[in-house]
Amino acid sequence: MITKNFAYHAPADLHGVVTALSAASGTAVVLGGGTMLVPDMTHGKTVADVVVDLSRAGLSGITLDGGGGPHDGPVADDGVSDGRVADGRVADGRVADGRVADGGVVVVGATTTYAHVLSDPRSRTLAPLLRRVAGGVTGGPQIRNKGTIGGSACYANPSSEVPAALVALGARLRLASAGGTREVAAGDFFTGAFATARRPGEVLAAIALPAPTGPCPGYTKLKLNESSWPIATAACVPGPDGALRVALGAVAATPLLVTLDPPEAGVADPAWRAHVREVVDAALAEPWSDVLADGDYRRRVAPVVAVRAVADALQQAEGES
Amino acid sequence: MNRIRLVVNGREREIEVEACKLLVHAVREDVGLTGTHVGCLTGDCGACTVLVDGASVKSCSVLAVQADGAEITTIEGVAGDDELHPVQRAFWDEFGFQCGYCLPGMLLTARELLDRMPDPDDDAIVQAINGNLCRCTGYGSILRSIRCAATRMAASGEPAEEAS
Repeated sequence: MITKNFAYHAPADLHGVVTALSAASGTAVVLGGGTMLVPDMTHGKTVADVVVDLSRAGLSGITLDGGGGPHDGPVADDGVSDGRVADGRVADGRVADGRVADGGVVVVGATTTYAHVLSDPRSRTLAPLLRRVAGGVTGGPQIRNKGTIGGSACYANPSSEVPAALVALGARLRLASAGGTREVAAGDFFTGAFATARRPGEVLAAIALPAPTGPCPGYTKLKLNESSWPIATAACVPGPDGALRVALGAVAATPLLVTLDPPEAGVADPAWRAHVREVVDAALAEPWSDVLADGDYRRRVAPVVAVRAVADALQQAEGES
Repeated sequence: MNRIRLVVNGREREIEVEACKLLVHAVREDVGLTGTHVGCLTGDCGACTVLVDGASVKSCSVLAVQADGAEITTIEGVAGDDELHPVQRAFWDEFGFQCGYCLPGMLLTARELLDRMPDPDDDAIVQAINGNLCRCTGYGSILRSIRCAATRMAASGEPAEEAS
């Protein structure tokens, strides 16, 4: 049981959410899927005076913004927009031949659950990496039915797969408050273990992803057993110039982004593998250590998952050509 | 206090709960159905699984106030008074449980799987129950039970939802 009672609000839209947050006295928390927050409150790790529940605010769904940038007018880089609060959603996407026009933005509403990602056919073309991540989330259908991409981003557990996937995709997180909305690049959003750039009074309204133009990114996850949290994850998004953008998750407090040369002689080439080891090792200043694995182990497996993600990305690309 | 309305196993209930009350505790203490078990309270073990508007959730990770207006199915709602659901019968016949603590959650999860996928392969079964922990069986007999339930339900031609 949760020992300290709190005021509970479940506003019907995003405007109501930011209003409730700005009016809250004491510590206010935002409740998304609740799979982490509610147990944390039960165990006294989070103590709140006010709980603002997003579940009735209409923030779920995957949509395509055909281009032209954010839907609520210009949003400055990490700045405040013209003061209006967006509803976190845009008009329905248009997908032709399974491909999306360049320059479009895929908007994933903050309360979009893993189950929604898996059941919505549009995620195949609009968010194929998130679809793979969602399919690998452990904890059973109960967790996939409630847990959200946005909640996982805001919880920022180093040992989870969403943060690195968002960094790999070059996602931007749309944060709303009574003062307006701003966007923060995923690379700047994750500031430490269980810490993000989200300020008090702000709520994640949506995650904006560049519409995919190439094949499905490569993805791999290393875990101890069926129901374990990941020890290391890697997502590989090949760039237009051939360079490989690889985001490693769970190996450090925040996602680690490295750029690798393409394996001209194949992923088994010892020289290329040495290059991967060198790049990953240099980038990994302080490996994450927890009950699943210590830092030394994570340092050893980080280049291994990077290689696997690259191999997977190349295989995905072959499958599509 | 918050007054909330639930439809539990088809029956309308109105209860008063504090905002901080977990759904699992409301179901047991205020609705009075104790078949839903309190396990880890961390969202790991799955013993508290119920269906909310048809989707399985761990009711220790949901506030009761969040369920206002929802339809809840608990283990008491899966079969009639004097009979077993085919999934329950299969767990009985195949020794799919020992102490029974995980059983309500395991049965609801298994039934949800078979509603969605009447002929699951082993990977799909493992994926479906990877949020339900059992410390007695080692899972072998649970996999056997779910395969057995699928076979019997396919043979009887009854979809899981109506087979009770």
